[in-house]
Amino acid sequence: MDAPGLGERPHKKRRFFAEDSSPPAVQPVRHETPPQSPTPAQPSEIPSDGDQDANGGIQDGFDVGLLQAVIGEVEPSVLWVLKDRSGNDVQRAINIFLDGSWKKTLIPAPLVQPTARPASVQSTLMNKLTRQDSEMSNASTPSSGASTPMLPSLRTMPAKRYIGSFGVVGWATKSGKGLIKHEDKVRIERTKPTGHLKQTGRGGKARAPPVSRQRQDVVVRFTNERGEEIGRLENESAAWVSTLMDQKVCSFEGSCVYAPDKIRTSDTIYLQLRGYFLRSGFDKKGFVKMDNNRTTGFFEEKESQDEKDLRLRQVALVKLFEAINLQPARINSTAEQHKREGLLQAAERAEQKKASKNGGDKTGAEKEPGSSPPSDEPEEEGEELEQDQLDSLYKKAQSFDFNTPVMEPAETFAMDLRKYQKQALYWMVGKEKDQALEEREVSMHPLWEEYAWPTQDADNHPMPVVDDQTMFYVNPYSGELSLEFPVQEQNCLGGILADEMGLGKTIEMLSLIHTHRTELSNGSSSATVNSLPRLPKNSTAVERAPYTTLVVAPMSLLAQWHSEAEKASKQGTLKAMLYYGSEKSVNLQKLCCEANGANAPNVIITSYGTVLSEFNQVAALEGNRGSHGGIFSLDYFRIILDEAHFIKNRQSKTAKACYELQARHRWVLTGTPIVNRLEDLFSLVRFLKVEPWSNFSFWKTFITVPFESKDFIRALDVVQTVLEPLVLRRTKDMKTPDGQALVPLPPRTIEIDKIKLSQDERDVYDYIFWRAKDVFKANAEAGTLLKSYTTIFAQILRLRQSCCNPILTRKKDIVTDEEDAAFASDLANGLADDMDLSSLIERFTAEGDQDVNKFGAHVLKQIQDEADSECPICSEEPMIEQAVTGCWHSACKTCLLNYINHQRDKGEVPRCFNCREPINARDVFEVVRHDHISQDPSTFSLTTPLDSAPPASQTPKISLRRIGLSGSAKTQALVTDLKNIRREHPKMKSVVFSQFTSFLDLIEPALTRDHIPFLRFDGSISQKARAHILTEFRDSPKPLVLLLSLRAGGVGLNLTCAERVFMMDPWWSFAVEAQAIDRVHRMGQENEVRVKRFVVEGSIEEKMLRIQERKKFLATSLGMMSDEEKRVARIEDIKELLS
Amino acid sequence: MSLPKRIIKETERLMAEPVPGISAVPHEDNLRYFDVLIHGPSQSPYEGGHFKLELFLPDDYPMTPPKIRFLTKIYHPNIDRLGRICLDVLKSNWSPALQIRTILLSIQALLGAPNPDDPLANDVAQRWKEDEKAAIETARQWTQEYAKPA
Repeated sequence: MDAPGLGERPHKKRRFFAEDSSPPAVQPVRHETPPQSPTPAQPSEIPSDGDQDANGGIQDGFDVGLLQAVIGEVEPSVLWVLKDRSGNDVQRAINIFLDGSWKKTLIPAPLVQPTARPASVQSTLMNKLTRQDSEMSNASTPSSGASTPMLPSLRTMPAKRYIGSFGVVGWATKSGKGLIKHEDKVRIERTKPTGHLKQTGRGGKARAPPVSRQRQDVVVRFTNERGEEIGRLENESAAWVSTLMDQKVCSFEGSCVYAPDKIRTSDTIYLQLRGYFLRSGFDKKGFVKMDNNRTTGFFEEKESQDEKDLRLRQVALVKLFEAINLQPARINSTAEQHKREGLLQAAERAEQKKASKNGGDKTGAEKEPGSSPPSDEPEEEGEELEQDQLDSLYKKAQSFDFNTPVMEPAETFAMDLRKYQKQALYWMVGKEKDQALEEREVSMHPLWEEYAWPTQDADNHPMPVVDDQTMFYVNPYSGELSLEFPVQEQNCLGGILADEMGLGKTIEMLSLIHTHRTELSNGSSSATVNSLPRLPKNSTAVERAPYTTLVVAPMSLLAQWHSEAEKASKQGTLKAMLYYGSEKSVNLQKLCCEANGANAPNVIITSYGTVLSEFNQVAALEGNRGSHGGIFSLDYFRIILDEAHFIKNRQSKTAKACYELQARHRWVLTGTPIVNRLEDLFSLVRFLKVEPWSNFSFWKTFITVPFESKDFIRALDVVQTVLEPLVLRRTKDMKTPDGQALVPLPPRTIEIDKIKLSQDERDVYDYIFWRAKDVFKANAEAGTLLKSYTTIFAQILRLRQSCCNPILTRKKDIVTDEEDAAFASDLANGLADDMDLSSLIERFTAEGDQDVNKFGAHVLKQIQDEADSECPICSEEPMIEQAVTGCWHSACKTCLLNYINHQRDKGEVPRCFNCREPINARDVFEVVRHDHISQDPSTFSLTTPLDSAPPASQTPKISLRRIGLSGSAKTQALVTDLKNIRREHPKMKSVVFSQFTSFLDLIEPALTRDHIPFLRFDGSISQKARAHILTEFRDSPKPLVLLLSLRAGGVGLNLTCAERVFMMDPWWSFAVEAQAIDRVHRMGQENEVRVKRFVVEGSIEEKMLRIQERKKFLATSLGMMSDEEKRVARIEDIKELLS
Repeated sequence: MSLPKRIIKETERLMAEPVPGISAVPHEDNLRYFDVLIHGPSQSPYEGGHFKLELFLPDDYPMTPPKIRFLTKIYHPNIDRLGRICLDVLKSNWSPALQIRTILLSIQALLGAPNPDDPLANDVAQRWKEDEKAAIETARQWTQEYAKPA
């Protein structure tokens, strides 16, 4: 025996079989490469007496293709013997075969007449059994990856066992008399290799083999008891009968039901076949473990030989059960019929797909990970899920059991957990320690079906009963058979924590980190090694890091993780470390290895970008992880991927890099395990290494293909079975059985603040309003509403902007071309209008010089002295927002403005209330007291531009500002509110949302002027800066204001450090606003949140609120309507808006 | 309708620091309505007289001036038979910075310095111009007759 050692099993094996696509008689032999894997599969297809490892050597310099081209298809065992005896010499092997000498020293494997020699089959199997015993085989139950040994039951199973009978039609290949008659036994054999020729020889006949089966030999012959070939089975049944025979699943015996007395070629002969399951069919098939060759390129392979065999076998089994009418005693999910149809469909579809694609996309995608990286992410495949499908899927996955026990976090954990978080902790610790193995009732694996062995045959003769074997199990998805009860169970020691945003996934994870950790002394060497065949075996330098959890998160959340980790831990109980940028200089391996246990960081936080860049570096080192000393040089205790939808595209480099990370426990955190494709979930499962789903072929066959062939229910059902044991998902709106909210948040009040525009603003607004209305009316009359939709919508936009600040409407970029055209024609018709608008805006923006020095220092002094005096108009004491006239007489700002308006309304020239000097409304100045400013200048944010110093005078804390300069009515209202907050709650932080970043641009100077420190966050800001801004906002002791654009306030933002929210302008759907508000009002918020929505009185904004209530726009935004319908619906809304 | 702070404050001050020779008391059922009593200024034909007036603060007070009328018959060129007063600060020269107190002082001053060139009661003004002495005498008589302190 030239059997190579176990560890040296060549990896080229699969490639060989993928190339050799010809005879299905040659069973692909799958190898499980990782030697330490708990469930290595045994190649079971070679019923020879030799060391089975030798079959790995079959192809070593031994041209099987050539051999078979000459001698035809032979059993793999024969191949092996030939190879062995010929010393890898093909020519010699051919000679040995042809002269028959090879049989002499060998119990022949069933070659040409498998059923004719039951004894030899038996002995072959016996040989195999003993061999496997000696090797302490631990073949696992199929597909679930359970490690239940199968052998004991196999041993008691007879070599073959009756399964059922069915009728088939055959046709004669011979003519003659008395060849066969009723009740004559026939043998069912696979055809001789030369059958190909014979088949084609029958060309022209209707029974010629279908073209689709080209190259696939399905000929099944039957012979009479004298061994003479009588005929063949019809192709329809031969197709699957041949598969079952070839794959050693079944053997068949037949008897003639009817044959003409005198047979002529191509006469029809009716047969009754008795099917037997062979013991070999129940032996471990290699399918599940085909995934050994985990190169990143593997996944691009469209269909391997393995998959093809699987498909054939699957179909064959389904057809067999149909033929013998065997119904499962128990199945898990949907109706059997449904399932089977689906299977056939899937298989057919795969066939079609393969035919149409035919290798074309194989070449491009197959790349070594080290080769030049594709600059962009590969295109995602898979169809998108419809919203309702996604909803129902999530709904199913959300059946959270509120009776789940709770688990108290470890002493070292410093935060209080809510009940559902303790339940999560229980669940997670359970997943990690895999308690499912010990307790819990045993349920059948969902992909399996249970069948009873028939106790009688078709003629009602009792069949021999085997003790303890009344049932057998079939996985119609993989075509596997089993005598053992297939237990549903995951051996993935982690999972998907998919709690909705805001429920505290981070905290839950941190509690797990605290609660389940490796004790220092404990050096158990459990089998956690996921060896990577892609890497050289001698790269033993991957060290275990039994005390370290690696957290991979998007860059913007790194700091948040770090601070949360510290906040959640009692002093000195958890070492958290950022591994990013400049911190990367450390050698992680040295730091985290077992020997350094006492000093190893408990948590390393890094970014996806870092993982990717180190992956490339390691790849450049030819996979020498250890010498790199970075992330990949360790085998962690636990890995957590935060916002794991980052790796939803399995083809992306980042995803591939993450797959290569090694750890005992793997977790992914995401609020959306499926973003829009089922494949999104696959990538997570792949990362988690959940067998068998982490095998893309498996996934594709059972999920993608059914889904793409519109069999949604089935695909989603299977997805659900994948998700259920893996995923924990709760949503914020979940209620406990006693009706309690899952997360009791502090109260939230939303107040609508009706803003009154100043007269100047109102003039601009009215002007735009009437113009918009005219345009709408003109178009409505002309019936061109839909056509001019854009124009009208632009007008609406301008209206909304003018509610915020009339200056916004001047911004060029928001004026569409169409509108410019409309303007142009207006200009031609009546120039006055346009001039009017510009003059209106001019009036609004006229600011005059801001030099208040002309009032002189003594005036300021006087005003300061008057600071506490009462308003001469309303008697408020002190004045509310003191203002002064050009003649330096002060009163409340509103009193003063009211009086000026009052006089104007009466058609009088406004005069000073005090000295009766004529005054101009423009010459009214606010007295700005900077008393809300903290005295400590160091508290000013660096990002806040400091106002130029107030006028030089003895009264540095007072300055005068022309009224109107402080911006629009809304801006003023905001500033006033912010100042009040400052006075009442000196530390309180606020968040300001607007959908117009240009409006935020205008709010900024107003805040600056009033020395209100603020930060700005919008889409134009780089990721890095964003993180910085958020950190500063959260950590700064200053009462900061955060200006956010409604759109950029998106992913994962946690603004619970703020307690006040200002919505500067309404959006079409309140849901969007509510989402923004939830940034502040979410888990972690400990105080009441007050929200103020600014809405301009008597404006389009008020009408928008009405539309919001109708939720009409919500419906349109959900994609329930076509674009055209949306427009019509919106036109209706616009009609209302302009009413 | 709640009373504006301004009116409350003015009322309180009128009570707390009354102006000599002037009193203004709001009605209990309408705090915007005042009973006013002005003593005729010394060295004037109205000396010794106690003149009753009514004063009403309109809704938009102090944007608009209070409405004031003499209830006591008075012989004065700027006050008509109905008691209406011709005084600039009650008309065009009103300013919200003025108050009840200042207005009443102005009225008191008006009694001391009639201005027949800007008449409201034309016949009285005419007499005043033609025969000031007789006019003043009539005023004194009227004061005696109608404005006797109770």
